[in-house]
Amino acid sequence: MNADAQQDFALAFLSILFEGAPFILLGTLVSGFIDIYLPAGTMDRFLPKNRSLAVLAAGFMGAVFPVCECAVVPVIRRLVGKGLPVSCALTYMLAAPIVNPITALSTWKAFQGQAPWMMTGGRMLLGYLVAVGVGLVVAKVPIRAILRKNLADRIEKKPITEPEETTCSSGCDHDHSTHDHSEHTHSEHDHDHDHAATGDSRLIAAMRSAQKDFVDVGVYFTIGVAITALFNTGIAPGAEWLDGLAGDPLIAPAALMGLAFILSLCSTSDAFIAATLAKFTWGAKLAFLVLGPMLDVKLIFLYQTVMRRRFIMYLSVSLFVVIWLASVLAQTWLIETR
Amino acid sequence: MKPELRRILFSLAVLLWAACLLYFYGSGRIVKYLAPDFRPIALAGGLGLAVMGLFNLLTAWKNASCGHDHEGEHDHEGSDMNPFASLILMVAPVGLSMMWTTDAFSQATLARKGLYEEGPSAADSPFFASMLPPLTIEEIEKGHRRTSDGFLEFDLMELFFATGDPEMQNLIGGLEIETEGRIVPEKVNNPDGTRMRLYRMFMTCCVADSRAIPIILEFGATPPILPENGWIKVAGTMTFPEEKGRLQAVLEVARATPADAPMEEKFLLR
Repeated sequence: MNADAQQDFALAFLSILFEGAPFILLGTLVSGFIDIYLPAGTMDRFLPKNRSLAVLAAGFMGAVFPVCECAVVPVIRRLVGKGLPVSCALTYMLAAPIVNPITALSTWKAFQGQAPWMMTGGRMLLGYLVAVGVGLVVAKVPIRAILRKNLADRIEKKPITEPEETTCSSGCDHDHSTHDHSEHTHSEHDHDHDHAATGDSRLIAAMRSAQKDFVDVGVYFTIGVAITALFNTGIAPGAEWLDGLAGDPLIAPAALMGLAFILSLCSTSDAFIAATLAKFTWGAKLAFLVLGPMLDVKLIFLYQTVMRRRFIMYLSVSLFVVIWLASVLAQTWLIETR
Repeated sequence: MKPELRRILFSLAVLLWAACLLYFYGSGRIVKYLAPDFRPIALAGGLGLAVMGLFNLLTAWKNASCGHDHEGEHDHEGSDMNPFASLILMVAPVGLSMMWTTDAFSQATLARKGLYEEGPSAADSPFFASMLPPLTIEEIEKGHRRTSDGFLEFDLMELFFATGDPEMQNLIGGLEIETEGRIVPEKVNNPDGTRMRLYRMFMTCCVADSRAIPIILEFGATPPILPENGWIKVAGTMTFPEEKGRLQAVLEVARATPADAPMEEKFLLR
């Protein structure tokens, strides 16, 4: 790498890192405290008992818990460990970065003068439908085909839902009415309860858990950001051909989806980039805005903290095909109605 | 590996990231990396990381329980990766980048980010013109200050995006305006060697997202010697000629003088 390439890489790398690190911290703090304080099965209780309805509801959870795509991965990792059904967790993971008020506001703001309501509404709707579609399909798939082995092991060792809870005096918040403490199998691992835990002790445990999550995610995030910086600055080969594809109604959405994948932008800010891609059609921009928060270079690395590589590959191909098809159809509909 | 050592290594990784964020914020260099909205978030992130790293470092030897007995090895802290490898992967790229960065992109990357591209056209943005409220010259004059020698001060952004807005072209075409930006040689559409290019970076969130926003400066003669990539204030008559089938934003220069760099590349929303 020559001196110019080094300075370009360093600038892009640090800027993306500075932008993303606080959101990862937020996500891992939430996940750390969920790990220690949230009783197993709590999230499940908020969702309808019917699994399909639960998936439909999970698609809207981002409106209540708005989290960007960097922060959502460690959160759902903990939520899955705590008993949230995998189908609901993946629906939330894919929908939350798009179907949330912050992303809606930034999209609307960025597309001022370019039919902002249509783009914002289209993005929310397509993001929701794709996420729910994935959730409904995933509900039929064994969790061992989806989750990493250690995470699947933990889930299969614990009951998914617990009986009515009665909080114990030590504050572990678990139900103790129907089981023997000495033989209890907990969500993360086999162990006995220690009822001497204090508030300070649990705070330390929560902070340790958060830091461990931060480092786990931070490693993958660093690798993803480094690759993104290489593409962003043209050090990695291949980007100039993109503009030449803008006029093709079939290839343009795929090209912008490829760009979204490489750029790895945050869902709260990607609309400002999409709005400047003047050569591309509305449908291509829609594809960019829906795929990016669900799938990009850094997310591929982050997803590996939760999911098996084979499943990530299937998920990636499915998302790409479905969003491409939907955006081409939306663009065709738009042209016909104008 | 002992849990205490793992906690210390993780804390060091977190503290290095915290130090990096806080250093760039405290030194003011953050303005080159993040748009204003994101800078307080970066500061909060740096402080949060510092608190988390220090807290975990200072309590690394303390016994803690989440309310469960883990018999010494706390699975809430179990990681898929060797802690030394995690530390190196988190620290090495950041350290190298801190050594390499000059807080600016090279000319080659600026070119990739649109330095020599044309502005938008109305055909490219079918909704653009129709959705905007009508503008009048009075409104434009009311919204822009006038210099002591009678030029209306415009942001470069407005001039660049005017190529995609016929109404704006009609209103500001022929107006005497002043704007500021960085000057570089014109490498396209410069058959007589009388042109330079004025640009500034449009940063939406971080500099990796930024794009160059350029217009052409037409001097009508050999351009004066100005510091390459330096900041200048330039005044003249705004025109939108069609060249090679595209409208270009061209400022016919009356005066151009070196200027102090602004505090930062402003975060501008349309």
